[in-house]
Amino acid sequence: MLSIENIEVAYHHAIQVLKGLTLSVEPGEVVALLGANGAGKTTVLKAASGLLPLENGSIDAGQILFNDSPINRVAPHELARAGLIHVREGRRIFAEMTVEDNLIAASYALTGRKEKPDYDAVYAFFPKLKERAHQTAGLLSGGEQQMLAIGRALIGQPRLILLDEPSLGLAPRMVDEIFDNIARVNQEQGASILLVEQNASAAFRIAHRGFILENGKVVLEGPVEQLRENPDIQTFYLGVGEQDDKKSFRNIKHYKRRKRWLN
Amino acid sequence: MGQFIQYMINGVISGSVLALIALGIVAVFKATKVVNFAHGHLILFGAYFYFTFSVVLSEAAFMPDWIRSWDPAWLQAYAGDAAMFSPKAAIASWVSDLPRILLGLIGALAANAVLALIIERLVMRPLLGQSAFAMILSTVGLIWVLEGSAGLIWTAEAEQVPALGPNFPIRFELFDQNLFLFSGSLVNLVVALLLFASLMLVLRYTRSGVAIRATAEDQSTAYAMGINVPRVFSTAWLVASTTGAVAGAILASRNGLSPAIGLFGLSVLAVVLMGGLDSFAGVLIASMLVGILSSMAQWKLGGGVAEIVPYVAVLVVILIRPHGFMGQEEIERI
Ligand SMILES: Nc1ncnc2c1ncn2[C@@H]1O[C@H](COP(=O)(O)OP(=O)(O)OP(=O)(O)O)[C@@H](O)[C@H]1O
Ligand SMILES: [Mg+2]
Repeated sequence: MLSIENIEVAYHHAIQVLKGLTLSVEPGEVVALLGANGAGKTTVLKAASGLLPLENGSIDAGQILFNDSPINRVAPHELARAGLIHVREGRRIFAEMTVEDNLIAASYALTGRKEKPDYDAVYAFFPKLKERAHQTAGLLSGGEQQMLAIGRALIGQPRLILLDEPSLGLAPRMVDEIFDNIARVNQEQGASILLVEQNASAAFRIAHRGFILENGKVVLEGPVEQLRENPDIQTFYLGVGEQDDKKSFRNIKHYKRRKRWLN
Repeated sequence: MGQFIQYMINGVISGSVLALIALGIVAVFKATKVVNFAHGHLILFGAYFYFTFSVVLSEAAFMPDWIRSWDPAWLQAYAGDAAMFSPKAAIASWVSDLPRILLGLIGALAANAVLALIIERLVMRPLLGQSAFAMILSTVGLIWVLEGSAGLIWTAEAEQVPALGPNFPIRFELFDQNLFLFSGSLVNLVVALLLFASLMLVLRYTRSGVAIRATAEDQSTAYAMGINVPRVFSTAWLVASTTGAVAGAILASRNGLSPAIGLFGLSVLAVVLMGGLDSFAGVLIASMLVGILSSMAQWKLGGGVAEIVPYVAVLVVILIRPHGFMGQEEIERI
């Protein structure tokens, strides 16, 4: 489905952020991508969705394949129309437009395809959005905004969703609800998902495989069951047991920062 | 009282032309986040194109006679022995001008559209992803490029071009006051407001309008959702250049063709700042306000001062409300 091979990415041709990163997402899979702040997770997604050039970023080496064709230089709207949809960090809903108009805007992902936008299916998936269809999207709660962000992706009938920190700023109960929805998107719509998260336990609950990113490189990868058993991950990502100074996952400061997102 | 209403009407009429000019600046800003300092010069080109097609070309040797002056038998019969300056005579003369007015409008719209697409493609598109400042500066540079090339292409000065509508005086009574306006101004007002209203309706109620609003709010997210953002950019430039061509035709027919049209268009930027760069409703209000204010100042203070008054008002508004009347009020909620 998606195969990222040894990419190097820099911003402004100066700040190198990804240093030979390789990862893959197979059809039907939910893959978690975890890592500290600034590790480069969002950059991976922007590289795959074609947004890098808009921020003066570039893929200087390696290649990205989507359904076996190289997409390093494909424009974002064409990728969306091919079924690769990026739900961005911070949700990025169109706050001044109504919920309905947000979904209509998303229907452009179907341009050139024979499918018609199925608004009812999205409203059935997220009944709360239906209640608020004619409200200004900026007035939705954080959880509802996240539903709208995912709903917009669904309108485009995606094959692969790049999902950036859906738990950001949500209360624990809301996080569970959103992650249940993500799992349903994967199972019912058959869309593959590359899930960037800070909340490792939530991500592991629905993911099949995981990648741990440190400093622009993958330092650990494997099936979720295996990652869960890894003592470093238990300490630094799952908050199991007490802090152990000898474990060398970056430094303690980073660990403390991480901890805010654990629950 | 009569005077007051009279100047009010004059103000609304010039305000509507300001609004038509402001429309193009706001359209480009909303979609691309670029303040187009060269919009006035796009209008100048529109005016010259209108002149080229409606006057120069219509009088060319290869053009059939009816383009220059359409004179079918029924029109002669209609005009008959209508008195000079009567509505009937004005309408008859407008109808006989109609072929070259249409030729002028179609030509100006098409030529200005091509010009804008070239600018968008060659100057703006390569700067995508660069700072907004770089893009704005390049529109400032465009002013000189456009003004210079207009000077090379057209030597015409103070030429007359046909008005868009028939022009005769209308006298009427309102609140027992005798009032007066030219039908030509009324036509300009209607054209300007119709264009303004239709753009608003398209933005609000069509699917393309949704794509444009989405791009205006968050370019990169719209792009990642499947909206062809570069095409939205060119659409915005098309809207600006074609409405600008109509504005150019109106200005040239009202005040004569001259390079000063470019500067006048540039000065409308102040009106746009007053209304809020990203608010169509705001600039409509600001345009009317400035139109009425300058008309009132003309009445009470006379020509020289009247020119400055509206811009003093603009400065005051911007000092009090830096984003204009209705500029970007962020809706936020965590
Ligand atoms: N547009 C940009 N221009 C320059 N540098 C950038 C840009 N975007 C990101 N960076 C830098 O690249 C690095 C990786 O950023 P990225 O957003 O990919 O991290 P992340 O893993 O998503 O972090 P977070 O968990 O905070 O979202 C950071 O050091 C960041 O400062
Ligand atoms: Mg990020």
